[in-house]
Formats: sequence, C-alpha cells, structure tokens
Amino acid sequence: MNARVREPVLFLVIWVVIVSLLVFVVYPSIQVFLYPSKTDFLKILMNPRYQRSILNSLYIVVLSTLSATFLGFIYAYAVTRTDIPLRKFFKGISLLPLFSPPFMVAFSYIMLFGKNGLITSKLLGLQVNIFGWHGLWFAQTVAFLPVASLVMEGILQSIPPSLEYAGRNLGASGFTLFRTITFPLARPGVAGAALLVAIQVLADFGNPIMISGDFSVVATEAWMRVEGWADIAGAAVLSLLLLIPSFLIFLFQRYWVSRRSYVTITGKITQIDIQKTGKWIRWILFSICLALSLLIILVYLALFMGAFVEGWGFNWTPTLRYVKEILSRSPELTNSLVFSILAGAGSALFSITAAYIVSRKRFLGRRFIDFTCILPAALPGIFLGLGYSISYTRPPFDLYGTAAIVILALMFWNIAMGYQTGIGVFQQISPSLSEAASNLGAGSLRIFREIEIPLIKGPFFSAFIVSFIRAITTLSVVVFIVTQKNVVTTFSIMNLVSDGFYGKAAALTCTLLIIAFGLLGITKLVLGKNVVLFKV
Amino acid sequence: METIHLRIHKVCKDFGKVRVLNHVSLDVPQGSFTTFLGPSGCGKTTLLRTIAGFYTPDSGEIYLGNRLMNNVPSHLRNAIMVFQDYALFPHMTIEENITYGLRIRKIPKDQIKARLERTVAYLGIGNLLDRMPGQISGGQQQRVALARALIMEPEILLLDEPLSNLDAKLRINIRAELRQLQQRLKITTIYVTHDQAEALALSDRIAVMNEGKIVHYGTPQELYYHPADPFVASFIGKVNLIRGRIIENRMGNTWVDVQKIKVLVKNHFDHLQPQDEVMLCVRPETIRIAKASEEKEENAIPGVVTNYIFEGATIRYWVNALNQEWVVDVFDPVEVLPPDTKVFLRLKPERIHLMPARA
Ligand SMILES: Nc1ncnc2c1ncn2[C@@H]1O[C@H](COP(=O)(O)OP(=O)(O)OP(=O)(O)O)[C@@H](O)[C@H]1O
Ligand SMILES: [Mg+2]
Repeated sequence: MNARVREPVLFLVIWVVIVSLLVFVVYPSIQVFLYPSKTDFLKILMNPRYQRSILNSLYIVVLSTLSATFLGFIYAYAVTRTDIPLRKFFKGISLLPLFSPPFMVAFSYIMLFGKNGLITSKLLGLQVNIFGWHGLWFAQTVAFLPVASLVMEGILQSIPPSLEYAGRNLGASGFTLFRTITFPLARPGVAGAALLVAIQVLADFGNPIMISGDFSVVATEAWMRVEGWADIAGAAVLSLLLLIPSFLIFLFQRYWVSRRSYVTITGKITQIDIQKTGKWIRWILFSICLALSLLIILVYLALFMGAFVEGWGFNWTPTLRYVKEILSRSPELTNSLVFSILAGAGSALFSITAAYIVSRKRFLGRRFIDFTCILPAALPGIFLGLGYSISYTRPPFDLYGTAAIVILALMFWNIAMGYQTGIGVFQQISPSLSEAASNLGAGSLRIFREIEIPLIKGPFFSAFIVSFIRAITTLSVVVFIVTQKNVVTTFSIMNLVSDGFYGKAAALTCTLLIIAFGLLGITKLVLGKNVVLFKV
Repeated sequence: METIHLRIHKVCKDFGKVRVLNHVSLDVPQGSFTTFLGPSGCGKTTLLRTIAGFYTPDSGEIYLGNRLMNNVPSHLRNAIMVFQDYALFPHMTIEENITYGLRIRKIPKDQIKARLERTVAYLGIGNLLDRMPGQISGGQQQRVALARALIMEPEILLLDEPLSNLDAKLRINIRAELRQLQQRLKITTIYVTHDQAEALALSDRIAVMNEGKIVHYGTPQELYYHPADPFVASFIGKVNLIRGRIIENRMGNTWVDVQKIKVLVKNHFDHLQPQDEVMLCVRPETIRIAKASEEKEENAIPGVVTNYIFEGATIRYWVNALNQEWVVDVFDPVEVLPPDTKVFLRLKPERIHLMPARA
C-alpha cells in the first residue's frame, strides 16, 4: 500500500475509521451473539411467554406496517398528485413527527383516549381501555405514517412525468391512469417503504412500553428481562430475535427491492401539472388527510396541555408546577442536551469522513466501511444498547454510568443516515473537481479541505441535526445503558409515565420538542433553505 | 388547395411571469410534415405540449379540423406524442406498451391484434414484443415509441426531438425511415428539433421559433434563401451578413451601397426604398473567389484570405473584406489560396437576399 508513504494522513484516517467501526459497531453486536449460552437460547425459546411475545410482535408488525403504509400512500398521493385544498399544510404537519420522540404518540394517546382520556372520558363520557394491541396499533400507525408518507412522496415524485403524460396522451385519465401507470410504477417503491416501516415498527420500544399493556412484544420483553430478572443473557436472546428479521429485511430491501425499482433519477424533472381531481375522490382524499393530520396535531396539543394541568384525568386545574420543577432541577435535560450535541457532532463528522474516503478512494477495507456504516440503520436500538451494555460496562472496557458510553452509542447508532447523505453528495460532486485539484498538485488532505469541505457543509449540518434529534429523542438505545449518573430525559419520561406522573412527563416531552424544533429552526435560519433533512 | 388540418391562432402561454408562447399563429396543412425549429428554451416543447393538450393556452385558440380543442383534455384528443425520452412504460412488455392506448379505449382484442401486427411489421420490431423496455437498444426503443403512437392512427402525430438520444449514424437512418413512413401514411406530423440540418432534410414546412414567437414559417428553400430576418438566416446554415444601404431599386434590379462598393442584387424586393438600411445575406457556397490579379468585375469585393480548411469536396476560406470576416466555400477547388493572398469575392446578383436591417 503505497498510500502509507504518499499520503500518511489519509492512511491514518482510514485506519481510525476502520478501527472505530470494529470497536463500536461490530464488537458490541458480536458480543450480543456471544453472551448467551445454548441453554439461555433454549430457556427463552421454549418459554410460552416469549413464544407469545414473538407472535405478538409478528402480528403487530404486519398490522401497523400495512396500515401506516396504506394510509401513508394515500396521504403522499393526495399531497403530491391531486389538487385538494390545504396540501401544503398537510405536508407540513406530516413532517413534525419526524422531529419528535417516537414514544410521544403512545403517551399522548393515553392522555387523550385512555381510561381518563380527555376525549374518551371527559368529552364523550366513554369508558375505554386503550392499553393493548389496539392501542399499540393505533399509536404506531400514526407514529410511522409520516415516514411512510415521506418515502412515498419521494417515490411518486421521481416517477418521470413523461410517463404519466404519455399515459394521458394515449387515452388514460383519472383512476385508469392511476391503476395502469402511476401505481404500478410506484409499487416497488411502496414495497420498499413498507419494509422500511416494518423495520421501525419491529424495533419500536417506546410505544409498546407505554401503551401495549398485557400485549407483550419482543422489544419490551427484552427490557423486562433485565429490569425484572437482571437476566442479560435472556435479553440478548430476545434482542437477537429482533435483530435477525430486521437485518434480513434490511438486506432484502437494500439489495433486492432497490434493484427492481423502476424509478431512475433523470436530470430533467418537470413536475407534471396537476389535473382536476374528480369531485368525489377529491373530498374523500381531503377527509382522510384532514383526519390523519388532526390525529397528529392532537398528539402535540395533548402533550402541551398535559404540561400545564395539575392531575390529568381527575384534576384539571391549570398549573405551572411542572414547568418550574423542570427548570429548577433536571439533570436529565442537561445530560440529554450535552450527550446529543456531542453524539450528533461526532456522528456527522465520522459519517461524512467515512463517506468521503469510500466514495473517493480505493483501498483495502473500503467495502467493509461501506457496509458497516449503513449497518446501524438495521440495528434495533434495543439491540445496540444491549450490545454496549454487555461490552462496555465491565472490564476491560468499563464505562459503566459514564457519559461516554451513552454518547458513543448514540453517535454510532446514527452514522447510517449521515453516511448515506454524504455518499449521495459525493457522487453528485464530480470527482473531476478533485482530480483537477490533484492534477494541479494538491494532496488528499488539501483537496478535502479546500475543495470538498465547502461543498459538504450542507450535508454535514443536516447529518448533525438529524443525528442530534434522533439522539435526544430515542429511548430504546439508552434504556440498557443509563444509570442514576448518566440518566437522560427520555428514560425519565418513560418512568414518569409508567408511574402515572403525566404532568411532569408531558412537560419534559414538550421541552424535548422545543429543543428539537428550536435547533431545527435556527439551522434553517442560519443555513437557508437548502438543507435537506430526512431525505429518504 | 391544401386543407388546413391544425390551426393555431394567437396562442399565448405564461409560466409564472415568463411568457413562453407569445401570440403564436400557425396553419398546418393536412398530411404535411412540419418542423418546429429553434434554440433551446424558445418554447418548442411548450407549443407541442399545448397541441397535445398537456397545457391549456392562456389565450388564443387551437383548432384540429374545425373543432376548437382548447378545452378538450389530452386523453380525448388523439393528438399522439412521441416523447424525447420515449416514455416507454418500464413495467410493461413492448407489446403491452404498444397496445396500451387501444386497450384503454377498449378496442376488441382481435382488432388490437391485427393493428399490432400491421404496425410492428411496418417498423420491423415484431421480434421484440415479449421484451421489457430496458432490454432493447435506443434505436429499438425509438421505434417502439413510434409504434405506440402510430397504432393509435392519430389524427396528428407529435414528435419531440425523437432522435436526440441516438448516435449520429442511427439518426440519419431513422430520420429517412421516418420521412418515408410519414409520406406513406400521410399523417399530419409535427416534429420538434433544434438541429437545422434535420429540419431541412425532413420537412415540408419549417416554423422557426425564437423567444416564444414564430419568426419565420415556410418551406426549407424559402427559409434558406429568403430568411425573414438575420436570426433565421444565421440559424439555418452558414451565412455572411453584411450591412448596406439601398441606392436604387427598379424592375427587380436593386443596387446596394456596401461601404462605397456598389452591389447589384437581382431579386424582387419591391418594398425596399432608396436610403433603406438593409442586411445582405450571402450564403458561403454562392460566392466565387478569385485572385486579385484578375480583372475587376461587377459585385467584386476586395479582401485578404486569413485562413482555410481543406474538407475534401470543398475548401472553406475565411476572408477579411470590408472590415469583417467572410466565409466562402469553394467546391471542386483547383488550387489552394494560402493566407495573405489578395482576392476578390464575387457575389452572384441573383443569389443575394436582402433583409431589412434592425438597429
Ligand atoms: N413547466 C414549466 N414551468 C415553468 N417554466 C417552464 C416550464 N416548462 C418550460 N418552461 C420554460 O419555458 C421556456 C420554454 O421551454 P420549452 O421546454 O418549451 O423549450 P424548448 O424550446 O423545448 O427547449 P429545448 O430545445 O431545450 O427542449 C423555457 O425557458 C423553460 O424554462
Ligand atoms: Mg424541448
């Protein structure tokens, strides 16, 4: 490898990246496999309790994926391809949950539709039990609808408009056009979107822990194993049960579905001008979008109200108690903020650097970096968190209760997104730019600094923000690694909700939301409109 | 008298604040091959799409036959378009692609089959029917796109730069085929291109567009020898444009003063008056070049050779005369005049075209 001699810095960077991935992604993952013994596997797999939870997981994944994808497609279609009123508004609303804690929907719906729910009990006087599979289904559908819709908007928009024009030109219109051209073209993308949603539903921990009641799923059972029995081996077996399907779906999605996609990105995208939608269809679509966006808005309204009500469900006196409580003392908020800033920055820096070397250089280990950087997208938070807990809370690597373990876990859990954005950008930026610089005598480092860095500011910041927001809002990654000393907000919220302290939990959730949206707003202001977030 | 098949009357179309079509009027005869020619962004595609019914004009009318088409949506028009990127449906086989429009119209199966066989036989693509669009070559895709349009027996066939994705050789072959096919089927055809050679080779009529307007509409010969203005002249073929002023204009003989040299033009420009500023439009192949030693004649302009390229059948000279660069093509050259040779450029009176000069 003559790069070692010619470009020592590059050589060093490559090694740092490879070693980091080995230590912080591969090693903890393998530890989860190695930790349980054969008897641990048998113990869990033969236990009817866990057999039931596996079936439950399967059942809810299918249900929630179908409903979120189906409604998400309708939503995406209505927003991009029809002339229903309030399209911009609908689109904006559907983006909000992407920047919010995933468990928020369940929490909020308990407050709205639960036994003492504002809507069910107070307004309608009903006695409803939301805890169970139906509550979980409801919450997950709304929680994952935005992702599904966003992915499918992208798919619908990347169908070359000339195909739909050609269809119309040859005599198809309205539903016939949809049935023969638009939908068949979108179908592979929709399948891909459904798989993406399935991975997320499967790995979802926050919603089931709050709302599923007796309906146990694998993710929550893994947590119970540790919480109730201190049985890490059992938790490892269960989290492997999450990992394996998730990983298979991921591979399938990445190497099969994406190949079959018809959608090619061509340079000339002239948006097809929207035709008059039939009157009935128009109002049906409008009603669906309105209902769905109301369900999303209600989530936020309830949380906000909850933060200012003395005792949700029985004592509706307004109060500032919880807000004051948080402002006066909440180490978990400080922790969340600091950890997430560091993890976000680290993640963005790491992933963009990795993307740069992978897309620009040829070296041994390149494919390893490429694969391992995307891998975390397929790792359920529970799995990775447990991996860190097993690997780094005892000698030789004892980071028990430290900030470092949380920061590292959050950082590496989030590299996939920044890495993919980075690869996308570097592919668009012609290598001839850097070749020209190289031709003029600049070395790798110099090219990176003077040519590429100015071009990657945008992706870098979007990677930072997305990582930051995912880090500050995740629950699943942190449940196994936080202790009294390094506790974070989402963990506190979970405990508060399960103990019934809705007021403080709501106030904390709102604070998280304010931080996330605040940062988002600032970045948009500072960097202008061309920061693309959540390009899926 | 030829019948008018498509009539476009004062059509305007704005995209936001940009006026993309500006009072476009055009009569397209039945069965003719008409080309829209113009630089990129001049509105050709927009005009074609307006005819296809993808855009509604902001003002003006479009008639097909005697029917006003303005509010007829595309799927009811039977003005079938072949797209620049072919727009073959990637999820259908070639056969499904070709028969798509007929199936939408619920034509009986046996009729579809008969028409399919006829069309693919025309275009020689019968062996491709079971494949997918991704599995055939660019030239084949082009034929399939054409088949998909022709099988509809369109009232009018619209082609948007259908050859632009093909390599040069294939282009020339397919363009000849296209012309023959059109003449055989006598389908009124509109063809969009920004390649002037293609336009000249194919068309009965050419409409040259610039900035959303039709600047000249006529036969290829009219456009070449009698362009309406300098834009048209320089857009089609190579041309020398020289400023001059009319001295006298009588009985088809026009004398023009070009920097004190008197040039005779034998063509009918009855509208021109003495003292009018004009542009002389002289095609490079109509100029004769002679060594300065030869005797001075009428319409002879002194100059100096600055450069030349030998192209086999021709030599192209660049000559500096009257303080501007001239291009002169000499066919069947006997000798080569090296740079710095003093020469006379002889202009044939009946080969010079005059256009009103704009300030
Ligand atoms: N859907 C649209 N929205 C806004 N502007 C448009 C749209 N389509 C075309 N334009 C603009 O209208 C003008 C004419 O476009 P048009 O596509 O008709 O040009 P063209 O002559 O076909 O060019 P080319 O040879 O490049 O295909 C261009 O300036 C273009 O940017
Ligand atoms: Mg065009």
